[in-house]
Amino acid sequence: MADHDAWRELAESYVSLQMYKQAAFCYEELILSQPTVPLYHLAYADVLYTIGGLESLQTAKKYYASTIDLTGGRNTRALYGVCLCTSAINQLTKGRNKDDKDNELHSLAATALEKDYKRRAPAKLPLLTAALKSLKLL
Amino acid sequence: MKYEIGQNAYIKLVLHALKHRTSAVNGVLVGRYIPGDGDNGVVQISDAVPLFHSLQIGLLPSLEIALLQIEEYCGDQGLNLVGYFHANERFDDYELSNVAKNIGDHIYRYFPQAAILLLDNKKLEALSKAKDRNPVMQLYTREASRSWKLAGSDGSSGLIPREPTSNIVLLDYISSKKWKDIVDFDDHLDDISRDWQNPELFK
Repeated sequence: MADHDAWRELAESYVSLQMYKQAAFCYEELILSQPTVPLYHLAYADVLYTIGGLESLQTAKKYYASTIDLTGGRNTRALYGVCLCTSAINQLTKGRNKDDKDNELHSLAATALEKDYKRRAPAKLPLLTAALKSLKLL
Repeated sequence: MKYEIGQNAYIKLVLHALKHRTSAVNGVLVGRYIPGDGDNGVVQISDAVPLFHSLQIGLLPSLEIALLQIEEYCGDQGLNLVGYFHANERFDDYELSNVAKNIGDHIYRYFPQAAILLLDNKKLEALSKAKDRNPVMQLYTREASRSWKLAGSDGSSGLIPREPTSNIVLLDYISSKKWKDIVDFDDHLDDISRDWQNPELFK
């Protein structure tokens, strides 16, 4: 249990073989033993998103959110992850109860991304805005 | 059906694979299709965007973000996503992995003449010794069948370099270690000030 690198390598091997559920298990073990390392939350969320399905997506969104929390809002991948999860969940629950509370997280993440791009990569801002727009409409 | 690859695209892809020798890398091909009569159309690959070099290859979120932004970029330039490039982790691995096939299928849905390029490591190594004009990649296309087939069974790959000097320029860049400058989408997500379009690479 103490060999974290071994668990990480096992998780990566599983991902390369597309055995995502097993990879998720490895990341769960890592998060249990080192809950403050944002890397594991982010990787776990990525694997959950790849597995797909409503429940996995909702959990993935929570882990992207915890990554943002642990990294002080600076992790670009987690911010993107929140937007992707929201759009995928909306697509799956079309017409059913729309949770307004969720939209707030989504727009906060989008705003944070736009602010960051404006500051550090202004040339890419139009591409980002278009991509975010196509996600919101989905 | 001919597939023509431009020098910039070709060099970007091989340099990207050389930068991350110990892992698999992938990228998308951007270009356009010039229809001809019968089967004589040409797919011109004018540019390439290197995508990922880590375990992100098998995971969806970053890929979706990358494809969204690259499609926007293509739309602005009037180009299409015409294919996918993959380089396996191991030297002698010539198998087209499931990840590559899945992404290839996705691109195929929007562009039926899509191609998958697989890096041929043995040819790349032999490049400095032999004076070969052909690109160091294998070309896979998906005809009416549901699977990806290797094109060109007589030694040539069905993939033509647009500029015949592509391999010579590539060797030059390899010897000057140009691969250090290449930025892929993975690097961009780590630090968004780095540009995955690599505009300064060939200046």
